[in-house]
Amino acid sequence: MAVPINDATLATAAPPLPSLVDARHLRTQRVGRALRLWVPAGILILLLGICFVLPLIVTLPSSTSGNIIYNNEAPFSPGHWLGTNVQGVDIFSQLVYGGQVAFEISISVTVIGMAIGCTLGVTAAYFGGWVDAVISRVLDILIAFPALVLALVIAEGLGPSETHVIWALSVFSIPAFGRIARGGTLTVRGLPYITAARLSGTRAWRTIARHIMPNILPSIVTFSLLGIGVTIILEGALDFLGYGIPTPEASWGSMIAAGQQVLTAQPEYVLIPSIVLLITVVALNTLGDALRERWGVQ
Amino acid sequence: MSAQTSGSEPLLSVRDLVQEFVVRGGTVPGRGIQGTPGVKQGVVHALSGVSFDVMPGETLGIVGETGSGKSTLARAVLQAPRPKSGSVVFRGADLTKLRGGRLLQARRHMQFVWQDPFGSLDPKWKVRSIVEEPLIAYREGDRAARRKRVDELLDLVGLDPERYGKRHPRELSGGQAQRVAIARAVALNPSLLICDEAVSSLDVLIQAQVLNLFERLRRDLGLSYLFIAHDLALVKQVSDRVGVMYLGKFCELGPGELVYKQPLHPYTRALLDSIPSTEPGAARATATIKGEPPSPIDPPSGCRFRTRCPRATEKCAAEVPQPRELASGHLVACHFPLTEPAPAGAGSGMSSEATTRSVPTTAEVQG
Amino acid sequence: MSEALLEVRDLRVAFAAGGREIRAVDGVSYQVEAGRTLAIIGESGSGKTVGCRAIMGLLPDTARISGSAQLRGTEMIGLTDGQLRKHRGQDMAMVFQDPARSLNPTMRVGTQITEAIRTHRKVSKSEAGAQAIELLRLVRIPAAERRFHEYPHQLSGGMRQRIMIAMALACRPRLLIADEATTALDVTTQAQIMELLLELQAELGMALILISHDLGLAASYADEVVVMYAGKIVEQAPASRLFGTGGTVKMRYTRALLDAIPHIERPAHAELPVVGGRPPDLSVLRAGCSFAPRCPAAADDCKEKEPALAEHAAGHRWACWHPCENGVSA
Repeated sequence: MAVPINDATLATAAPPLPSLVDARHLRTQRVGRALRLWVPAGILILLLGICFVLPLIVTLPSSTSGNIIYNNEAPFSPGHWLGTNVQGVDIFSQLVYGGQVAFEISISVTVIGMAIGCTLGVTAAYFGGWVDAVISRVLDILIAFPALVLALVIAEGLGPSETHVIWALSVFSIPAFGRIARGGTLTVRGLPYITAARLSGTRAWRTIARHIMPNILPSIVTFSLLGIGVTIILEGALDFLGYGIPTPEASWGSMIAAGQQVLTAQPEYVLIPSIVLLITVVALNTLGDALRERWGVQ
Repeated sequence: MSAQTSGSEPLLSVRDLVQEFVVRGGTVPGRGIQGTPGVKQGVVHALSGVSFDVMPGETLGIVGETGSGKSTLARAVLQAPRPKSGSVVFRGADLTKLRGGRLLQARRHMQFVWQDPFGSLDPKWKVRSIVEEPLIAYREGDRAARRKRVDELLDLVGLDPERYGKRHPRELSGGQAQRVAIARAVALNPSLLICDEAVSSLDVLIQAQVLNLFERLRRDLGLSYLFIAHDLALVKQVSDRVGVMYLGKFCELGPGELVYKQPLHPYTRALLDSIPSTEPGAARATATIKGEPPSPIDPPSGCRFRTRCPRATEKCAAEVPQPRELASGHLVACHFPLTEPAPAGAGSGMSSEATTRSVPTTAEVQG
Repeated sequence: MSEALLEVRDLRVAFAAGGREIRAVDGVSYQVEAGRTLAIIGESGSGKTVGCRAIMGLLPDTARISGSAQLRGTEMIGLTDGQLRKHRGQDMAMVFQDPARSLNPTMRVGTQITEAIRTHRKVSKSEAGAQAIELLRLVRIPAAERRFHEYPHQLSGGMRQRIMIAMALACRPRLLIADEATTALDVTTQAQIMELLLELQAELGMALILISHDLGLAASYADEVVVMYAGKIVEQAPASRLFGTGGTVKMRYTRALLDAIPHIERPAHAELPVVGGRPPDLSVLRAGCSFAPRCPAAADDCKEKEPALAEHAAGHRWACWHPCENGVSA
């Protein structure tokens, strides 16, 4: 069944075949991957810098009060980079200080969720049995609480404040991280290297700390980035409803609420904070996805 | 099944090992919901009374097909999970009776090599740390001494400590990863190494490298092996004695040469006939057994192989064959071993159609 | 000499992954005739599976394919998915390694077969059902009518593979490709399935391609053997010429494979002749023979120039500057 070949080829060398894949295509792949990671990362760093570092360097106009004389100033007016709103409050300052609040709350909620939720989730999955049963029920109860409603209730009862918002949203983030941590630990626990660690003589806590935690960390980190985005939106919703940060403190949600009243006449008061919110959340999501791609998390 | 050998005490002595798994109704991955959730459906008789010895310096090979229980055997010896009953006496201590710290100490001299080289290494750890882990856990020496030992171990398995010490498992090939697993396994100078399909997932050429490594360690460190695999030729090549398992019991156990050249059990004969060979002039592999393996939930009465055995008679259905020593050190559990001609009424013990209830894999059962 | 059923010429497959080009198949040519069996042997990364999947059109869109694969004169490379679907099942079919994953666990076995039949032929459901039961009998499944109504999980691995074969044969394809179809099975079941395949081949006049890493399988069941390494064919010969008495293996890689396989005839604890190193990285273009870094007989010319696959003896092609003499490594 062989294909006969004439003598001339018997002693020749075979030259390497040309590339089938377009070199340009390869470059685009590489560049695309890098961009998807560094562009959102850069945007987030920029946002954090503007919100937290800039006020230390430059004195910004007040974000809570303004001179009614200078209301409705257009963007790029002197002293007001993005203009002022209906009450004369500087819009850029509101964005900056509102951003501080947004990041403070969302990062706190996420950190609390990670610390408490992951501890619960990992313990439940590693030890199994009744430990798992009890902790899972606790997490189920927490997750059943509608976060927004809880926040409203707390705000009504104790008065709105940044700390209260953090508590309320943590009720939601703790079980969320708990589930992720529990799922990840269950997967890892069944792998041979955990049995190998036990056979090598490693005790339970050390196994959890050195084997389980590092292996579930990638999925936890990518989840937390998405979590920050979700929390910013939730927090924005609370502010919009008036149950979050009390006015006149600046927040993106209250900016949107205030701008709502003059939406048809001056849509920029709603658009500007909305766009900033959008950019922040999209950047967080894209970064989360890019990290997931790079770290191979499912 | 144990052969009486003169002189030394066995390193490992297993008697009447029984392991069972309860199959409950509920969701099984890949199969959907079976039975009533939570309610016991049946019991998988993975091991039904297995006995053998491993002498110091010897390699005992265990061969069997799916459902034979050989992997369950390896884990039962290790006590992970504990067998339902039976004894596992290792270096004089019965592991089934030990708990916690005492078990840890007793088991220190028994190590395990898994089939999946990457599964048994933590992907986040560096090679050095992986090999060092048992030394840290058992507090062997200070940091400097451990470092030296890790270098020694990596050299022993043929990996340059400078080049490979800092790598992560994903930067290694399958063969290299398995070497790291072996380095970790011999870190504490064990007496017994249990290898469960340790080379089955490696490419053929790499497999040969790792097998040679096992041989070298056997000679240089005086290791004993319990070598479990489904590849008959592989098992014969590495083992002094070979045991053939079927559905949770031993069919035949004896010196490798004898078991392969003069098999006594019909199942062994059938296995040997099925192997395709590259030897010139070898006969083509033939399927001399028909039918499907029965379910370990509902094994046949009497001899478990009778439903597929061309020599089975009514006696095979009625009585469980006990292991008998027919030649020196060569045991077989069969009423009509191959030394005799086929008995009268052969074929009557076979069922017309072997039961084939769904056979859960060990992974599914253990969850 | 009968006409070739499948003729593959200069097949090449490349992928772009992680910003690099991976040459999975790098210029492969072979033929299969009706009623004959070809074994494609190779380890992981040799390209044996990718090549056949390219012919079947089962590769992802990111694959770049060039070359020709003609099935009964019709070119398969470059066809759209719709056009290929007509050929798949009717002219060529494939059976894969893991039947557990190829069968839908939520559908009864009979339904899956009837669906396979009705994709290609316009028959009524009852007619398809009758054909399905015929197929189950064809693959020697006992109590076919009962099995028809069972779910995949109620069957053993060997049975499931028979179902896969039944589905593949639903429309009597001219060519059946078995991609590591028996690798996951017990050796006794493998023998049963291989016997079945050969019987079916005789009955239906099919051509059979066996893809495997198991040289023993090739020796026992194949007429012609192709050995692949790093995406290229390195040796090709009739099985009798490679494995028969007085058989000669020429290419060093094939020799290394043969030596590395455990043989029952070898004494226990024998030291195996080993070849060091690991399979080559397919994304790196290297000059010279791809096996040279690991070959025990590699010389300078091996590292500089890559040997062409050429027919140095009747019916026996190899690509090696310093092949083995007398079937034994020199």
